[in-house]
Amino acid sequence: MSRKQNHSPKQNELRWLYEISRPYLGWMLAGVLLASTVILANVALLSVSGWFITAMAISGLTGAVINYFTPAAAIRGLAILRTVGRYLERLITHEATFRLLAGLRQWFFERLEPLAPARLQYYQGGDLLSRIRADIDSLENAYLRIVTPTLAALLSTVLMILFLLWWSPAIALTNLIGLMIVGLILPWLALHLGMNSGKQIVEARAALRQRTSETVRGLAEITLYGDPQQRMDTIHEENSALILPQRQQNRIDAGSTALTGLFSQLTWLSMIVIAIGLVQSGMLNGPELVMLAFFGMASFEAVAALPIAFRALGETRSAARRILDLVDAEPAVIEPINPAAAPQHFDIRFDGVCLTYPGNKQPALSDVTFHLKQGQKLAIRGASGSGKSSLTQLLLKFWAPDSGQITIGDTNLNDLSGDTVRALCAVVSQQVHLFNTTLAANLYLAKPDATEEELLNACRAAAILDDILALPDGFETEVGEAAARLSGGQIRRIGIARALLKDAPIVILDEPTEGLDAATEREVTHALERLLSGRTALIITHRPHLLTLADQIILMDAGRVSDTRRNTDVINI
Amino acid sequence: MANPAAMQDKEQTRQLDRWLRSQAKTVKRPLNTAVMLGSVNGFLLIAQCWMLAQVLNATAIGHQPITTVWGYLAGMIGLFLLRAGVNYGSQRFTFEAGARLRTELRARLFDHIHTLGPAWSRNQRSGARATEVVDGVEALDKYFSLYLPQMQLAIIIPAAILIFVFPFDWISGLVLAITAPLLPVFMIIIGNQTEKLNRAQWRSLSRMGAHFFDMIEGLTTLKLFNAAQREARFIGQIAEDYRLQTMKVLRVAFLSSMVLEFLAAISIAMVAVYVGFRLMYGDIHYLNGIFVLLLAPEFYLPLRSMGTQFHARMDALGAVEPIIELLNTEPSTQPTGAIELQLEHAPQITFSHLDFAYPNRDAVIRGLNLDLPAGTHTALIGASGAGKSTVGQLLLGFLTPTDGEILINDTPLSKISPHSWHKRVAWLPQNPTLFHGTIEDNIALNRRSNGHADALHQAAQNAHALDFINRLPNGFQTIVGDRGQGLSGGEIQRIALARAFYKDAPVVLLDEPSASLDPESERLITDAIARLSSGRTMLTIAHRLTTIERSDQIVVLDGGKIIEQGTHEALLHANGAYAERYRQYRSAGL
Repeated sequence: MSRKQNHSPKQNELRWLYEISRPYLGWMLAGVLLASTVILANVALLSVSGWFITAMAISGLTGAVINYFTPAAAIRGLAILRTVGRYLERLITHEATFRLLAGLRQWFFERLEPLAPARLQYYQGGDLLSRIRADIDSLENAYLRIVTPTLAALLSTVLMILFLLWWSPAIALTNLIGLMIVGLILPWLALHLGMNSGKQIVEARAALRQRTSETVRGLAEITLYGDPQQRMDTIHEENSALILPQRQQNRIDAGSTALTGLFSQLTWLSMIVIAIGLVQSGMLNGPELVMLAFFGMASFEAVAALPIAFRALGETRSAARRILDLVDAEPAVIEPINPAAAPQHFDIRFDGVCLTYPGNKQPALSDVTFHLKQGQKLAIRGASGSGKSSLTQLLLKFWAPDSGQITIGDTNLNDLSGDTVRALCAVVSQQVHLFNTTLAANLYLAKPDATEEELLNACRAAAILDDILALPDGFETEVGEAAARLSGGQIRRIGIARALLKDAPIVILDEPTEGLDAATEREVTHALERLLSGRTALIITHRPHLLTLADQIILMDAGRVSDTRRNTDVINI
Repeated sequence: MANPAAMQDKEQTRQLDRWLRSQAKTVKRPLNTAVMLGSVNGFLLIAQCWMLAQVLNATAIGHQPITTVWGYLAGMIGLFLLRAGVNYGSQRFTFEAGARLRTELRARLFDHIHTLGPAWSRNQRSGARATEVVDGVEALDKYFSLYLPQMQLAIIIPAAILIFVFPFDWISGLVLAITAPLLPVFMIIIGNQTEKLNRAQWRSLSRMGAHFFDMIEGLTTLKLFNAAQREARFIGQIAEDYRLQTMKVLRVAFLSSMVLEFLAAISIAMVAVYVGFRLMYGDIHYLNGIFVLLLAPEFYLPLRSMGTQFHARMDALGAVEPIIELLNTEPSTQPTGAIELQLEHAPQITFSHLDFAYPNRDAVIRGLNLDLPAGTHTALIGASGAGKSTVGQLLLGFLTPTDGEILINDTPLSKISPHSWHKRVAWLPQNPTLFHGTIEDNIALNRRSNGHADALHQAAQNAHALDFINRLPNGFQTIVGDRGQGLSGGEIQRIALARAFYKDAPVVLLDEPSASLDPESERLITDAIARLSSGRTMLTIAHRLTTIERSDQIVVLDGGKIIEQGTHEALLHANGAYAERYRQYRSAGL
């Protein structure tokens, strides 16, 4: 996998596809060679057959002796070569494609990783996913449907024309012209005409997918507030918006298929006409005429797949473009070239920190200054959008401040790698993402080498152990998509257990008890107290319970610290 | 065949096939036209081969000059043009057939989704349904545009060729006639096996996809645990495993087409060799021999391409399963009411001896009697699972009571047409859905024919949404995503409130978000709700003390029954369940 960091904004999609394919070029080349072998074996099979029966007929008529063993054996051999070659070709090209896909997914994930979450927040969750899914899928086309047919066509055309040149330059030239029309000019036209509709199809499909998804999700709202008929009309329109470019595409496809047939036929007919003249002038004999006729007819199999391949190019390019646009974004944080070692003590200091998100006029944070000694807890309050979460985003190195500096211990955050910083922090937030695997796997995520005892202790401290053991499969319970089997409070406590297991010196709580009923909140809060004890913490909350745990409280308003209080004041708020 | 699972699988495949074929009936005409054009093309091809055989016979064997065959050459050019036209036409007809089918099927799916209604959609994964309706339906296309017409042509064209080959050379005809049925036989034998493997493959592919996208969704979490790099390797590993598995399947799957190719190739070779020898012995005429040899590859072509069509069929069968399942899902309620509700003012709503149970499960609501006096605000409280949201769903008419009635000013809800009832209820869910579109469209989902602009502005103002909307770069025209990205939780709530104000319905059901917001949003929303409640009959599934204290009546639900009912003061005085809950809330600081 190429690890070159190339962030030029408009990297060429095709170049990129080449770069990404490089590790699999061997497989790809083998596929191309096999594809060419199949094409040539077929041409040879038909040509030899034509020559053979004509020669046999003439020998029958004239009584001339003929060696029929060699051609008869060749015919059978070529038939087998064509078949086996085709089988191997399909296997090898698929092998290459799957290898490419595996590499592509890994590559994509690795490139997406530095961009999360800062650069991905503008993409809608569902939309981003479905887009990526479809785009990555359609990149599969690149090799199987574009590269192989194109290169195999090129290779076999060269060999076929060389063969024809030996017999007659005029016939070779005619065939070449025909192959060029069918293999280059028509596909180019199809590509040119199909570019637009290819793009439209992908976009229309994504739009329809999104519309469907929100219709299912918001069906109650549509029933109560909307006009279902109007909704149906919209969806009907969006379906038409998909069919329309597809129809355009079908016209192009059908037209190019029809023209391909027409030009192929006209070409081999011209080759026959030339050959007839050569027979008349004695430069060719009868069997050779028939051989060349069959050769001409079969030669077009070499370029038959090209119009479709070139059309797929449009679709693949726009998919590649979108993937590139996504991953080519600059990461929001530049990693230090020589990162400093992890600090040994954990005072947290913000000094005049300012942050404005790109595209926003209002700063998210302006001139934020506070100092938190190791072991102290800072509570952050404020309205939504006041900058609370931005503080944690900065501390986790998901974003970098525009000015001012942040230090942990005495080390500037700029000098630390993101991984080092995040290794120091455990986060519990409102949304705990549980992966679609077992509970155990979700917990071990925090510390892959944790002992079973550590795991049990963490769960006990998070007051979730009994709940887990009560499940039929205990720790081996599959979480199920969207953690359907667990209540909000349970999920939150699993998040806490995960944070406890991580055992990091700094804890960040982002409204960890929001959305829980009173009884559950009490339990979660107790679990959090255990997590917080002895650690340095940033706590975003409005909950009096949690606020009492803080040594210091700051109130954020429009990106500024509007008030700082000692904890003793909190009772009076 | 002793394996019952395999038998079942086969039976199921047959059923899916039957369903797909029955769909094709609606587009019989374009499909038949396409097949007809394909057959015409086949006959033209035979004529073309005949003319070419004449030309080669005259020039290669007879050594005649080109002038003697001009007629044939011109005829061939005519055929070329004709065939190009026919080819184009047949492709266009199959496309139109497929397009119409896809459109109709999507319309049916959406129609059915509407019939199933919110009671169904609550438990659905919207993304999966979207994939079925969009990509699933797309995947069916090839069944109709490729598989079905091609299957017919695969019989018609070889049969026609055979008819022409026999009179010219019956031995070659025999070779073709014997090998042709072998192709489908082999295909079925191998195809059956492949199909089973293919199904397993389809499942493992979707599992792999699910894992990959789960990782992308949880990327931030992975980064927090420095696990992203580890997972990246894992993703590669899983894809590798998938490759190994799939290749195992493909090695067999491709065998089917290899056998077909092999049979075809070896038959052509046999025809060539046979014809050659008999020509040498002078058994047949060259014209006949070359004609047969020209036709032989064309004979196998449609049969050979059947392998490709089979894959199209397999894909379609995989995709159609969830579609049929969706279409076969029965709606839980069948609203029958037809009364057009006339409401001048906020109505009185009465729940009378209401029972509700999901099919085959214990009752969720038991004998509920409750009065919501006209224009008052009732707070419904209770632990989770007490039946609060079921009461809400029943009031909205999304669920139908198993027994008892909900009366709207003495008219039973079951007798009222759902549409006319839904026009008069506003609903504020815990997690409102924002649709992809402008804020204006999201507030005014059903735009009024007059006074829209004023109503929109007023609704936003009443919901305390105007200020933040005006602060957005494009104000009311700002596009919000389908999950409301770019807006905070409090802002989404206020847009939902504006929706209710804009609708101006006399009945309001509020499912209060249990997640608390920052104090400022909370204050604004509480204020807006108070304003919304005035002059309307409102039922709140309440989580907040301020809401509960302000309501005209409090209803405590437990186990689907009302255990306490009254005003805040009265209930505190009674010192029962409510009083206890109240103290709990107080100590939690809510």
